Amino acid sequence: MALLDVVLQVGAGVFALLVTAAVLVVGPSRLRTAPRTVRANARAVAPVFIALVVVLAANGVIRDIGVELSWLIGLNITGYIHAIEGSTVAFVQSFATPALTAYFGFVYIFGYVFLLVFPLAAYAMYEESRPLRVVLFAYITNYGVGLLCYILFVAYGPRNFMPDMVQPLLYNSWPQAQLLTSQVNVNTNVFPSLHTSLSGTVALLAWRFRGVYPRWTPVAVFLGVSIAVSTMYLGIHWATDVAAGALVAFASVEAASRAADRQERGESLMPSRLRELRE
Amino acid sequence: MPQSSPSAVRRRAVLGTLATGVTALSGGCVRRLRTVAGWRSANQVSLDIKTVPADADPYALRLARQVAAWFRAAGIDAQVTPMASEELLRQVLVQNDFELFVARLPDQFHEPDGLYSLLHSRFADAPGWQNPFGYANLDVDDLLETQRTTTGAERREAVYELQRSIARTQPFTLLAFPDDIRAARTDNYRNWRTADLNSPLGYLSLARSDGDATPAAGASTLNGGDGTVRATSNSNSSSPITSSTATPTLTPTATPTETPTRTDGTTGASEARTLRTATTDKRATENLNPLSVEYRRDGLITGLLYDSLGVETGDGVEAWLAESWAFSGGGNAPSASVRLRPDLTWHDGESLTAEDVAFTHRLLADTSMETGTTTEDEGDTRIPAPRFQGRNSLVADVRATGTHTVEFDFVECEPKLATRAFTVPVLPKHIWQERTSRASVSGIEIGPATEAIVTNNIPPVGSGPFAFAQNTPRESLVLERFDEHFLFEASTEAGFPAQPPEFERLSVQVVGSDMTAVEMVADADADVTGTTVGASTVPRIGRAPDLELLVGRSETPFILGHNAGRPPMTNPRFRNTLARLVDQSFLVDDVFGGYARPAMSPLAGTGWVPDDLRWDGENSVTPFFGTDGELNADRAREAFRDAGYQYSDGKLLEGN
Repeated sequence: MALLDVVLQVGAGVFALLVTAAVLVVGPSRLRTAPRTVRANARAVAPVFIALVVVLAANGVIRDIGVELSWLIGLNITGYIHAIEGSTVAFVQSFATPALTAYFGFVYIFGYVFLLVFPLAAYAMYEESRPLRVVLFAYITNYGVGLLCYILFVAYGPRNFMPDMVQPLLYNSWPQAQLLTSQVNVNTNVFPSLHTSLSGTVALLAWRFRGVYPRWTPVAVFLGVSIAVSTMYLGIHWATDVAAGALVAFASVEAASRAADRQERGESLMPSRLRELRE
Repeated sequence: MPQSSPSAVRRRAVLGTLATGVTALSGGCVRRLRTVAGWRSANQVSLDIKTVPADADPYALRLARQVAAWFRAAGIDAQVTPMASEELLRQVLVQNDFELFVARLPDQFHEPDGLYSLLHSRFADAPGWQNPFGYANLDVDDLLETQRTTTGAERREAVYELQRSIARTQPFTLLAFPDDIRAARTDNYRNWRTADLNSPLGYLSLARSDGDATPAAGASTLNGGDGTVRATSNSNSSSPITSSTATPTLTPTATPTETPTRTDGTTGASEARTLRTATTDKRATENLNPLSVEYRRDGLITGLLYDSLGVETGDGVEAWLAESWAFSGGGNAPSASVRLRPDLTWHDGESLTAEDVAFTHRLLADTSMETGTTTEDEGDTRIPAPRFQGRNSLVADVRATGTHTVEFDFVECEPKLATRAFTVPVLPKHIWQERTSRASVSGIEIGPATEAIVTNNIPPVGSGPFAFAQNTPRESLVLERFDEHFLFEASTEAGFPAQPPEFERLSVQVVGSDMTAVEMVADADADVTGTTVGASTVPRIGRAPDLELLVGRSETPFILGHNAGRPPMTNPRFRNTLARLVDQSFLVDDVFGGYARPAMSPLAGTGWVPDDLRWDGENSVTPFFGTDGELNADRAREAFRDAGYQYSDGKLLEGN
């Protein structure tokens, strides 16, 4: 089964990356104390973690309905996006070489999964729970905003809108990858780029918590930027999607920090004014 | 904005008059204001071309973008809006919400009488592929009627004149007839070359590769790596029949070792009994209703699920569910007496009778089935099915006169033509009579559609050689062979147009794009690409050692459809001039990589095309304003000016 092959390949590749990074970034001493710190952190952030799981599960269910709903009420903005940016993506693709295609294809699939999973594992092995809590909040925000936008807007990526100028480089070089990506999302959901917003979120948080794992910061920033570029280079996203994704990244990092602050102070997550109203 | 723009001048005039009106307030001034305000300022002509994205069709979007580029060069504000296949057909065919669209014309229009429902003005307001253009031309109407009632040279002349008229007035602009390109594996099935994969009969004619030592003659691999090798197998007409003579008889009944339930446990053997297709069209996994116009591409899957009285074989309509038919009747309106085969059954075990046949034709004419029986206050609005109206319009009345006999009364037409009405799918009355009420969502009736039109019809109960097994929406569909089908016995008859299928299951796997579909076949995860693939995949197919490249002529052209109900497309002169902005030869080379043919008539390739409409290097009716895809904007402007339109700043203006 071709899909299973792809999943196994990606799983094995990402696992190798995770192990390597764990040794180099987290370091042997923290790995030794990991059982204890992970348990402690898990207790501390359990509610947020459950919330993320619920959001992801809902995402999977709503996505199917969302596609239908999107055609019913959504706005088809493909033409507007093209009017804004024209052939920017075609310009990015004009630098294409086989080596670059291999690299960006790799970071788009393997690098992306690694970038999202590693912070969860690494921050779970850190002595304090705050970085993990913020990451979880930020992921929730990303998926929430993404889902809402995907219902409100119908947009096809450049490879689907201007096939004469933009090549589907990923699917040309590795067609089986489309079996995986079409499981994860549908081709009308390109605005904003969730690849960019989540990678951006991880990179921003790596910078914010650079004291935690100093070696992780440059890796996350480099990978994050690579992934944002790869979405355009591979013809999957418009530059507009990437810009919107970057905005979502900034906003969700900010929102997540505040939510974590509140929770750590023991306050309710509801805005104070709302609480006053209730009282 | 330049100061000399007429619209700016006009706006200033209006504002000026307004100001004067407010200050003076005299009766004369107000009258003058009304007079001036009655003149709308002219805007640029803006046209939106709707089509499907590149994932769904390898060519449509590129065609739309090239056409839009030519239109922009002529001063028209043209954009392209991509949307999902069912959404495009819903907006164009059902809601009439479009200006222009690019799509493939279904194959039922590739014969003279097919044009009747496509272009007759009586269908201008009907949803579905019935005149989606809102085209109304009384001369064309007359010719469409004439070709129904005449024969020989008289009919031929009417069909010729009809095509000339269409070519001039352009209800739609022909872009090209693409070649149907597919990739197939030869290790499980063969005679791909002779099988017409656009028709259910073609699928039935596929033969298994095992069982005989030497591969079939057609199984040689074509190494067209550079894309120059062209294999043009004859994919239309009678090929499914001739193929049966070329294959050794290997009917399932003759091989006792094959059992429907596999117990050997080896995946190889179980998969070998399945014909696996990889398709880019997910619609059949979500909806199997033969009447749902927006979910049907070519009716292939529903054609395997449902039977019709007769089947189109290229040599005319041959008996299928019917055992025989006999035409009678004086005057011009013929009648036919149809005798059904004995012991026909639906997939659910009920027997298929003449009552089902009569019911089907009444349902197609009015899915609410209220005509005649309704009371005054309920109204008497017919809700015809959005598909099969052309063929059903031949039928005036149908009566079941016995369990196995049906009487047809036809409208004024030739008997040979009337047999087209026998090719619509027969639906089970015991299922569909429950579907004549208005469709509702969560108990609330919305709009005028009936349940019969909107139901997804899953699981479907048909009578065809294959029955529904399972589906996963947007991912897969599996059909199972219906072993009680009459064809297992009937195929021994002389002249029967098909043979029993040699595969037990047909699986449809949805993939993201044509390149992925080819890759599935190359990786032995599928036997054939169920939908046709783009010319850009040809080198990939040629490189793979186990793949056979199938290239066949197609009967379904890409068209640029015009909404003749919306200005400025209401004006035939405007449409004619628009057509001259399109360089078909360039599209064939640039978009299709040579895997297509330009044409001036939708009947191209049928033998019904007059000499003056045969392609001879260029379009002689609406020749391109320019050369090699390069539009001569001056000539285009001159033509639009001659047609009564104006330009301002190089922008084509709407008429007042």
